[in-house]
Amino acid sequence: MGKTLFKDFKIFSGTEFLEHSEVLVEDGRISKIGNGLDSTGADVIEGSGKILSPGFVDLHAHFRDPGGEWNEDIASGARAGAAGGFTTLVAMPNTKPAISEPSLVEYVLSHGKAAGASRILPSGCVSKNREGKEMAELLKMSEAGAVFFTDDGAPIATSSLFRLALMYTGKDQPRIMEHPEEISLFRGGQVHEGKVSALSGLKGIPAASEEIDVARGIALARETGGRVHFTHLSSAGSLGLVRQAKKEGLDITCDTTFHHLTLNENAVINSGYNSRYKVNPPLRSIEDQAALWEGLQDGTIDAVVTDHAPWHMDEKDEPFQEAPFGIASLECAAAVMIDFKNKNYPDIPLELILKKMTSSPASLLTEKWQSLGRIEEGAAADITVIDMDRTRIVDCSEWYSKARCCPWEGIALSGWPVMTFVEGNKIWQDNEDI
Amino acid sequence: MNAMPSEIGQIVWRHRNVIDVDCFTREELYFLLDQARHMENVMDRPIKKVPVLRGKMAVNLFFENSTRTRVSFELAEKMLSADVVNWSVSGSSHAKGETMRDTAWTLEAMGADIVVMRHGAVGSAQYLASKLKRAIVLNAGDGTHAHPTQALLDLYTAWKHLGNLEGKKIALVGDVLHSRVARSDVIAFRTIGCEVVLSGPPTMMPKEIDSLGCRYEKDPRKAVEGADMVYLLRIQRERQQDGLFPSVDEYHRWWGADDNLMKYAKPGALAMHPGPINRGVEIASEVADGHQSVILEQVRSGVAIRMALLYLCGGGAR
Repeated sequence: MGKTLFKDFKIFSGTEFLEHSEVLVEDGRISKIGNGLDSTGADVIEGSGKILSPGFVDLHAHFRDPGGEWNEDIASGARAGAAGGFTTLVAMPNTKPAISEPSLVEYVLSHGKAAGASRILPSGCVSKNREGKEMAELLKMSEAGAVFFTDDGAPIATSSLFRLALMYTGKDQPRIMEHPEEISLFRGGQVHEGKVSALSGLKGIPAASEEIDVARGIALARETGGRVHFTHLSSAGSLGLVRQAKKEGLDITCDTTFHHLTLNENAVINSGYNSRYKVNPPLRSIEDQAALWEGLQDGTIDAVVTDHAPWHMDEKDEPFQEAPFGIASLECAAAVMIDFKNKNYPDIPLELILKKMTSSPASLLTEKWQSLGRIEEGAAADITVIDMDRTRIVDCSEWYSKARCCPWEGIALSGWPVMTFVEGNKIWQDNEDI
Repeated sequence: MNAMPSEIGQIVWRHRNVIDVDCFTREELYFLLDQARHMENVMDRPIKKVPVLRGKMAVNLFFENSTRTRVSFELAEKMLSADVVNWSVSGSSHAKGETMRDTAWTLEAMGADIVVMRHGAVGSAQYLASKLKRAIVLNAGDGTHAHPTQALLDLYTAWKHLGNLEGKKIALVGDVLHSRVARSDVIAFRTIGCEVVLSGPPTMMPKEIDSLGCRYEKDPRKAVEGADMVYLLRIQRERQQDGLFPSVDEYHRWWGADDNLMKYAKPGALAMHPGPINRGVEIASEVADGHQSVILEQVRSGVAIRMALLYLCGGGAR
């Protein structure tokens, strides 16, 4: 494998911007960071002041493979991730069949490798066949390469199973990722319970349905000493609980999504109940949205994820009440975030946002992958180049993803990833940036 | 009758589709009420027919059973000389194995000019309108969201009795949570300048009622106090099975309208109901059949207001 010199870049280390402007990559790893590095025998990539960031790490993406490949398969998802600046994607296991045994973990890994795009890391179910009854072969799946255990799409069905899984996995195994939801409060729900449910008559999903399960997970973590990662948190109340648990010193982490940070229930109302805004957890109130930004700043939120939930237009293009839940965003999430921050939170440093998309989520992966999300000597050369001056209109018809269920279709955004490298190999480049 | 809109009240009618009443200004609502008055005159003629929609094809696309709404639209369409097709689909579009957009395009290919749709899913009327290129869409009820023609006929009935509605008070009592009628009525009566107060079991009220722009009183006597109109919402008996209230009897005792409750309203206040009524549940027979009841007038108003809407959106106005 060759040598590549990245020259004249603004380098983001994963936590801060560095003074140096050059990165030398050799054999897939970062060999040197500095200025005036020796370029003998190296391909030179000129940055002209663009940002060189660690590749983005998404802890939560759905690929519908196996079992729903017309909506997305692992290869199309991996390419979509690359085009969105993501170099590592954690695949959720709620496929058909569900990823709840080692051979299926291997299936995801091998199909991900074959795609030659973003690195796909599998997660495994907590329960066999994701039925919420018996614990799956967690240790075998861990050996096979699973980086999280989750019954995502649903909460862990019973508190006793949740407790056993926490005891069994402890601190040396992949974290348990909980999709927080109290099912009896969700049933038939369509939108946030509040203004949007009042105006539309659509059944509301109360914030309490999420908060009750966050409280359950915290109580079980406290009792077992286990580690719980709450995914796609959407309500101010949930963040309050996590904030408190962290203060207490429990090993609790959480993420929220790009869409919950950048949209709220008003988007559903203003669209005239367009199904592209239908997602679970639902887009909540403007106050909840503001609380998420607060949680991002005070460290309560560890990561921002896509919860990329792809649907073919044939499935998603239905009246609101009949459409499935899910937003697909891999190919525009980073731009959505950067653009939104610059317009609405200009005082928040870009570093904070990028950190929650790189080193911070990577640190929640299994030990083998924890050095991802960093630009440092010896680290894997997973690199995303960001052009803050690039403005592009989101056009889903150009996507690698098979999904078209995107709220930002047709919207002009500024600040886009333009090149993506995994272990030194260029896996994607914005055509207009050549 | 033959007057163009611009000659009456100086309004240019800008609506093609009617998804909910929130698209109308107060001025447009009064204009529409005035048009409905002309239409009601047509209903009293020996030959109940005018040619404004002659040569136009109206399709009544009903995914849910609703004989009275369908018949009301059908009569309105026929009195305006439209050709009428009734297309009923039981269950959702999915149950039939065809998506709604394919159904819509099929209708358009057959030459439909006007599609009146009733569907169980919130957002279905808006969705249909976004898929049709030529035909207009009148929402005859989309799930729990909106029922604009019901709200307009309620407004028309009230206007005929009370005249200027500004500052008048209407109390809506019952299951607001699941009621498309309540949602559209709240918007319509507020737009025209009425005070709207809601009452009913707290389990059947939406969270954040404030966002609807009206007040809630748990005690219906407080809601009805001094009201010019008392509007009873239909109680679906299956809501009791959902556990939202313990028994029909308890519901009637607390929130059912009887003569005693009507005493709290203004003397001569109107008793209204969208029908079909559940006697002894949300309304006692003494009120339903009493001198304050305008329930059957509402039914008649429905034909007139639908004629007016069809005329303005799909007929003479262009």
